[in-house]
This record gives sequence, structure tokens and C-alpha cells, in this order.
Amino acid sequence: MAELTYREAVAAGIAQEMERDERVAFIGEDIARAGGVFKATVGLLEKFGSKRVIDTPISEEAILGAAMGAAMTGMRPIAEIMFSDFLAVCWDFIANEMSKSRYMSNGQLPCPLVVRTANGGGSRFGAQHSQSVENWAMMIPGIKVIAPSTPADVKGLLAASVRDDNPVIFFEHKSLYATKGEVPDGEYIDKLGTAKIVRVGGDATILALALMVPRALQAAEKLKVETGIDCEVIDVRSLVPLDTQTILSSVAKTGRLFTVEENPRLCGWGAEIASIVADEAFWDLDGPIVRITTPHIPLPAADNLEDLALPDAARVFETVRKVMG
Amino acid sequence: MNVLMPQLGETVTEGTISRWFKVVGDKISAGEALLEIETDKTSMEVESIESGVVAEICAQMGAVVPVGNVIAVIAAVDAPTREFELSKPTGADGNVGEVEDLYGAVVTPLKNFGQVRTENGLRITPLARRVAERDGVDIQALARDLAERGVTKIYRDDVCSADQISSSTSIPTSASISATSSGSERIKLNRMRRSTGAHLAQSWSEVPHVFQAVDVEMDKVERVRKQMNVHASVTGGVRLTYLAFVSRAVCLAVRSFPLINAHMDGDALIVHHGVHLGVAVDLDYQGLVVPVIRNADGLNVMGLAREIESAVERARRGALIEDDLSGGTYTISNSGSFGTLFTVPIINRPQVAILSTDGIRKRPVVVEADEGDSIAIRPVGIIGQSFDHRAFDGAYSAAYLRELKQILETRDWSAEIDAHT
Amino acid sequence: MVCKAQRQNEGVNDDIDDLIRLDLFRRQIEIRHCEQRAYDLFLQNLVKGTSHLSLGQEAIASGFATAMKEGDKSFCTYRGHAHTLARGAPMHAVLGELMQKDCGLMRGKGGSMHLTDVDHGVMGSYAIIGAHLPIAVGSAWRAQYLGDDDVTTAFFGDGTTNIGAFHEALNYAAVFKLPVVFVCENNFYMEYTPISEITAVENPAADRASAYGLESILIDGNDADVVYRTAQAAYAKARAGHGPSLIECKTYRHSGHSRADPGAYRPDGELDDWKTNRDPIKIYRARLKEFGISEDVINEIDAKALAQVDEATERAKASGFPPANILATDVYADGGWAWRN
Repeated sequence: MAELTYREAVAAGIAQEMERDERVAFIGEDIARAGGVFKATVGLLEKFGSKRVIDTPISEEAILGAAMGAAMTGMRPIAEIMFSDFLAVCWDFIANEMSKSRYMSNGQLPCPLVVRTANGGGSRFGAQHSQSVENWAMMIPGIKVIAPSTPADVKGLLAASVRDDNPVIFFEHKSLYATKGEVPDGEYIDKLGTAKIVRVGGDATILALALMVPRALQAAEKLKVETGIDCEVIDVRSLVPLDTQTILSSVAKTGRLFTVEENPRLCGWGAEIASIVADEAFWDLDGPIVRITTPHIPLPAADNLEDLALPDAARVFETVRKVMG
Repeated sequence: MNVLMPQLGETVTEGTISRWFKVVGDKISAGEALLEIETDKTSMEVESIESGVVAEICAQMGAVVPVGNVIAVIAAVDAPTREFELSKPTGADGNVGEVEDLYGAVVTPLKNFGQVRTENGLRITPLARRVAERDGVDIQALARDLAERGVTKIYRDDVCSADQISSSTSIPTSASISATSSGSERIKLNRMRRSTGAHLAQSWSEVPHVFQAVDVEMDKVERVRKQMNVHASVTGGVRLTYLAFVSRAVCLAVRSFPLINAHMDGDALIVHHGVHLGVAVDLDYQGLVVPVIRNADGLNVMGLAREIESAVERARRGALIEDDLSGGTYTISNSGSFGTLFTVPIINRPQVAILSTDGIRKRPVVVEADEGDSIAIRPVGIIGQSFDHRAFDGAYSAAYLRELKQILETRDWSAEIDAHT
Repeated sequence: MVCKAQRQNEGVNDDIDDLIRLDLFRRQIEIRHCEQRAYDLFLQNLVKGTSHLSLGQEAIASGFATAMKEGDKSFCTYRGHAHTLARGAPMHAVLGELMQKDCGLMRGKGGSMHLTDVDHGVMGSYAIIGAHLPIAVGSAWRAQYLGDDDVTTAFFGDGTTNIGAFHEALNYAAVFKLPVVFVCENNFYMEYTPISEITAVENPAADRASAYGLESILIDGNDADVVYRTAQAAYAKARAGHGPSLIECKTYRHSGHSRADPGAYRPDGELDDWKTNRDPIKIYRARLKEFGISEDVINEIDAKALAQVDEATERAKASGFPPANILATDVYADGGWAWRN
């Protein structure tokens, strides 16, 4: 085991896969010489050379299109879109092209690629550089959607994403880049489509993703100490494929479900899970499903305003306490 | 060939015939304009695909015709005959073929549990309703009680408290409560207890029960059991209980005594070829359920241990379904963990016999040998069977019990386990 | 748009082998007959949905396909039947896809706008304008990266030159010197609007080449010899590692934008002029005779193509419709569509 930062884990995950497979190459804006604007890809150019680690022009459509064309004909590329907000600029390639080419061609055209992107708020970048857009990707059939919360998960899930034969959108959280965690040594591969129970409890199930996971854990500790309410916290990690079994088993045990979502309210990732639980696990519910989300507004730039918008541990604590009575 | 009204636009459903260039009887060549069509978006000339003679015009100038309808017929004249080998149709028609459960990606539970509002207007959560039905709690009565206390919503805990009869966790001793008005409490039996009670009373009164027992030295079983459980605690495998060994011995013994694994049917005995073993599970003193392990005779000790563990876990969780509780051919009631000496169990009609396993305790036993007798300390337990004397006699039952004892005491259990680890 | 004969090397043109010429003709006449059949079948309500025909643009598809090697990749737009046929995709599978039959190239799952035949290098037909240009760039990147010697061609229309993805793809390909050839089929109309009304330059592709450091190449797209020669040069350049080419081919489409469009926005006489004087098939028949190929041989190729189309038609008609059990297959690489456990 070694202690790595979340950003070091990104570079480590990419390096692990590039070492293993010659067909893996990495393209993006300022990812090579500068090591990425978030310094998440430092050292890769030096290690693998400019043929395999490429600085591109500011051309999001060309970046994703090139990754797709290469994946379609024998490579396994990784493409970076610097801020997840910019996915909107090249959304055609995610919504219309890479997600549908296999289906429309009746299986003739493969697309084994990874799109990694820095997602989420908390870094004071303002409305167009702070969004949580995992839910945008979740609703497109034909892709996989991953959002890790720890350095170990970053490395393991990034490796698994590169090895997966489908297009995977990999949402790193920009405000987690500096966080540290233990990462297994040597080759490490995790499993897509698996959630993790990060705190066992019996009174309520709290689902969280990425930056919201540490906040949910903080709230759960405070709830236990101050109110006796013992929450089970689940890091969802993978929106597509979704580990519904872990979630449903937890709700069967606790009878209560809360979600903590950084995305703005409408059609957030928690809404879909709430609907599945309200259907399949209706008879396990002892109370309403409650979603704790950012309000349905663009994100402000000022520190204090952004902090008011994103769900924090205090808001999670208050909501659970109030609802559980 | 038929000339159809063509699809002029993606959303167009009909067209108007604005002009025919030919009349019936006219010759026409392939590629020659036949008529002009108009829609609200555009107008165009339609050419004939084939050469021939216009045989029929089915829609006149000005007529509004739906897309796809026949508007004219052209009789092919001197058309060269072309012979083509028709290939076999590939694939099936669009309607045929299995559509996997596309529309069932999320599985809606079909069993409903009551109404969301009680008669007196309180609301009750889905989980509370399900638990109430499982435990036989009278929701309406509970709702009346709770309403008096100012409660407006009924949760699972409310139902479980009601089910517990009293708020303490002590064992209810309803049997010893007399019906005097002061110093006593009336505890209504829960639904599960009421229904199984009726079944038991009927069994007791109608079936001539005879009880027999043997004491069984469990040292060999114990040795293997301990060894396996050490292994299991390291590997996380299933733990072996005495019950698993007894179940296995039952399945083996029944081969030589098939009438034990049967049920009464009027004046006949239905002897079953497979052993579907019911295992009585106590639910926190609230009642008994008897999940059935189907085809227990096909399982070895490990398999039985696993199945029993799973059944008990599901029973405690309230997750047993109808299928789990039906079809049993023989039942085992296990009071061993309470340390009882022996139990005379009530037969689970229409089965003809039921086994009871009780406490296993170290006891002094006499070991016979040519050199002389000695005393040894061994784990010993009493295994008893109640049987329906209409089905067979004491001698048969006793012989079965002797076989059972023999299997438990002398079988090479480690060989059976080794073969599967 | 007045059509004018534009010939490169006028008077020369004897550098092309007879067998190649027969191939160039064969491809064009097969496309012509098959596309015409597609139109007839739509009138009979057997070709459904939407369909974009290439009647009149056969020389471009034929010229480039004849110059390609096996293993070369091509990407085209929703007006892609010609390009798919030219690379050798079976006719019954092309017609079958248009007729939504199980024998179709994609068993009815893609439809007319998405014809794909990877076995013949047809890496998809694309309906979002411009999307396939960056994807073609990716295929070329792969060739350069893995050291493969195939060239990738992207075919698109005049309208595409105004969309963002066009510019991103051209710049990217030029910067990294990728083995990709961009072919603009300028048929003078962007859907229902004359291209000149909404483009800042006269020649939508050729006049933009310099923006990407590329040579301006503008040719008569209805002369298959000219197309073939130009294609050969571009492919040689790409295979030698000298980067991409952008080629604008002037042509004209005989039918409307889609088969639902009778093309009434074109000025009177324009269509007739092109059909009479600049029809690629007519031009090439004359060309073959000019180089001594007999009328009999030409007619035999023509008749054989028509017979193939007839057979393909019957075969597609005889095929069943796609079975319900393929509705949700091949969403993911494992062949399934599961999004949850």
C-alpha cells in the first residue's frame, strides 16, 4: 500500500494501463507538457513519449471524434475533456455517436475508449466550470458512467474502464484532487458496476457520489453520536452499470433512503435510483425517500455562495435528523 | 402491377391526384410520367416503373388518397420473363421471436399488502403493512389504539411493538396466565400462532401419536464438526451444525425405511421418493415456520448445512415465500440449543412422522470391550420421533431410529466432507 | 449553376489501364441501377423511412473506391448508398437495409442513413453533419500510430464545410499529418438552399484548404477518370506520410435532397442541363468507346449490373423482417443492454 493523492492516482492508473497495453494512448488539451491543468497527468509524457501522450488543439469535437475513430479501428484511447462542463461542446459524440455506433451497425463497430473529465464544484470556478454532470451521461443508453471518490477507487476504476470494451465516461472530481488515500501497490484493477458500503448501519441508507461521500460520512458520524441514528453510507461509484442489488439490500435492511447529490435537483442521478427503490423495494420502505441536492440554480462564484449551494455535512445531518424524527 | 400512392414526405399521410397523364387503355413505358400528385407541401410527377398498358385507374383527378393505397393498375405487356432463384427468407417475421424482459428492467412487486389508510384514517407505511400481515397483527385494532395516543402514522416499529404483545422482551408465558380480572393481562394470540395452533390441535387430536427415542453418542460427529468449523472461520465458509448431520443421517436412514418419508391419505400411505425436509424455525418466540429443503436427499452434509442456514436466515428475515413452506415430506424440530433432554413433538400433518433433536451434553458412557468395560466421557444427545401409529408399528420406527443412531455414531463423516472440500 | 466540362489534362488521359476503366464504369452503372431501384421500391412503399439518393454522383464514389486498396477505410454521410456499394457491399444487403429486412447490412437496426459494412471497409454512414470527419481523423491517427498503411477517406457534402466539426477535423489532421483524405461532393445545394447563398467563399471546400495549409484541389466530380487520378495522388501522398488532402468535386444530384423532395427549388432547366450534358454515366460510356471498348462489352456490363440489382431486389423482398429478439442486442460489447444488476 502507498499513500497517494487523488491526482497522483489518476496518473498512476493511466500509466499502469499504458505500460500494459501498447494500444492505449492519451490525448487532451495541455495534458502532456503541462501535465494537465489540474496536474493529474504529470510525468506521463516523460514516461511514454509524445507519440503516446499528445497535446491537442482546443478542439473538443476533434478530440472525442479522434478517440472514437481510433477505438473503432484497433486502439484503446483515453481522451481528456478538461472540465466536464465542456462535454456540452462535444456532446454529439457522446449522445449520438459513441453510444450508438455499436447498436446501429448491429455489432460491427466497437468503441473501447475512456473519456476522463474533471467534474464538480467547490473550487470557486463559477457556473460554467463547476457543474456536476454525471446525470447528463447517465441518461444516454450505450455508455458506462463512473465517479470515484477516493484515490484507490480512481486507480482501480480507471484501470477497469480502460480494460472495458465499451465507451466509459470517467468523472474525476476536481475538488478531490488534493485528497489522500491508501492505494494498493502493483497492478490494481477494480470492478465497474459495483457500489461500496463505506459505513455499515441499520437505521437509514444514505447514497452519495464523489465529493458528497466524505460529507455523507461526516454527517453519519454526527448523527450516530448526537441522535443515535445509525446510518449506512453507500458510495455509489458507478451510475451505469448501477449496483442496484447493494442498494436494494441496504434499503431492505434499513427501510429508509436518502441521497446526497451535487447535481442540481431536476433529473439528478438520485431521482432515478429513488424511482427504482420506490418500485422494487416499495414494501421495504418505512418512510419517504429524500433527496438532498444542490438547488436547481446555476452555481455562483463567491466562496460563501457556492458553499450554500452544494450539500454539506451539516445539511445532510439536519435533513436526516428532521425526517427520521 | 399495382401503382401505389407514394410516401411524398416523412410526415405526409395522404396525397391528392392532380393530373393523370394517361387513360385506361394507353400504353406506357418504364420511366414515363403517369400522373402528378400534390400534398400540402409539394407536388411531383410519378413515373411508371414498368412498361405495359394502363389497365385500371382507381382514383380520379382531385381524389385525396391515403399513402399506400392502389391508384392504378398496369398490365405488363411483352414483359421479358426473368427467372430468379428466390433465396430462403432469412430471419423470422417481426412479430415472432422471444423478446426478453425488456419492459421489466425494474421488477414491480405484485403482492399488495393492504390499504394505505386504516379504517380510522391513520396512514401506514408499506413496510409496516407487510410486517403486519407477516406477523398476523390486526392493523385496525392497532390503529385504534395508536389513535388514542395521538399517533397519526404507523411505522414498522409500531407494528413490531404490538406484535411483541408487551413492550419488554421477556418470554411471554400466556399459558400460565389465568383469566382473573385483577393481576392478569389478556394477550391476544398473533395470527401466525392462531393458524398454526389450529393445525397442531387437529394433529394432536386426530393422529394416534407414539413417541420413541434413542440416545446418540455424537463424538465422531463432534470431531469432524469442530474441524470443519475452524476451517470455516478462516475461509468464511458455512458452519456445520449438529442439525446438518442429523438431517443427513435422516436422508440416509430413510432409504432403508421408506415408510417414514410418507404421508397419510385416507386409507393409504403415499410414500415419497424424494426427501423434502422441513426444518422448524422459531421466530423469536412469536411463532414457528417450517421452511422446506427440497430434495434434501441429494445434498451432503455441507449442502444441507448451507441450505438450512439460508432457510433459517430467510425465515428470520420474513423473506419466505409460499413455495418455501410447502411440499415437505418429513420434519425435524430442533430444540437442542435450549439444552432440553427430550421433546415429544406434534406431527406435522399429513406427514406420518416428526423428529426431535435435543440438547447434546457431555455424559459418562460405558464403553464395552473384551478386556472389560470402562467409562468414557462423550457428547450425547437424545433423538426422538413421534409417529402416526396408523402408518406403521413401533418395531419399524424403532428399527429406523436404530439405523439413524448407527449412522450418526459410525459413519465416516470426514470422508464425506473431504470429498467436497 | 451552369455546368461546364472541366477536364484536367485535356487531350491526354491515356494513363489509365483499360481494366481499371471497366471497373470505374461497372461501379458507376451498378450504383445507378441500384439507386434507381431504391427509388422505384419507395414508390411501391417497400423502401421505408427516409432515403437520400446519389443519382448523378456516381463518378465520385466509383473513382475513389477504385483507387482504394483493400483495407482502406471509408466514412460517408447519410447519402451513403453509393459509397457503400462502391466498396463492394452486397446489393441485397444494401437494399435489404433500406427495406427494413432481416437480410439488411445491419438487420434493420441502422437504416438507410447508417449503412455500415466493416468487412468492406465501410466504417459507417453518419447522419449528424460533420460528425464523421473527426472520427475519420481518429482512424487515420490509428493507422499512423500502429504503423498500418491504410488510408481513411471521409466523404461529405458542400453543407458540411460550414459546420464546426469540419474545421476541427481539418486542422487536427493537418497538424498531425494524418493519412486521411477529405472529399467534398459539391452538388451546389445544402438541403434545400443553394450553397452559394450561405457560404462565405465560392468553392466551399477548395477555397478553405489554405486555412489548413493544404493545397486547393477542385475537380470535375462527374468524370470518373479525373476523380480516379486525383484520388490516386491523394492516397499516395497519405501513404507516404505526407498528410491529408482536401478535394472538392463538382457534381449534381438528379433527385431531391431526400426521396421526399422533388427538388422544386432548382431553377428551370438546370436539372435537365446536367442530366443531358454532364451525366457521369453518359460521359463514361463515351469515354470507354473513345478508348476502343466495344458497345457490346459496355452493354454487357450494364445488363449484368441490372440483373444483379434484380436478383438483389428479389432476395431482399423474400427476406423476413428483423425478429423481435434483436431489439436490445449489441447496445454494449457483451451483446446485451444491461444497465443494472
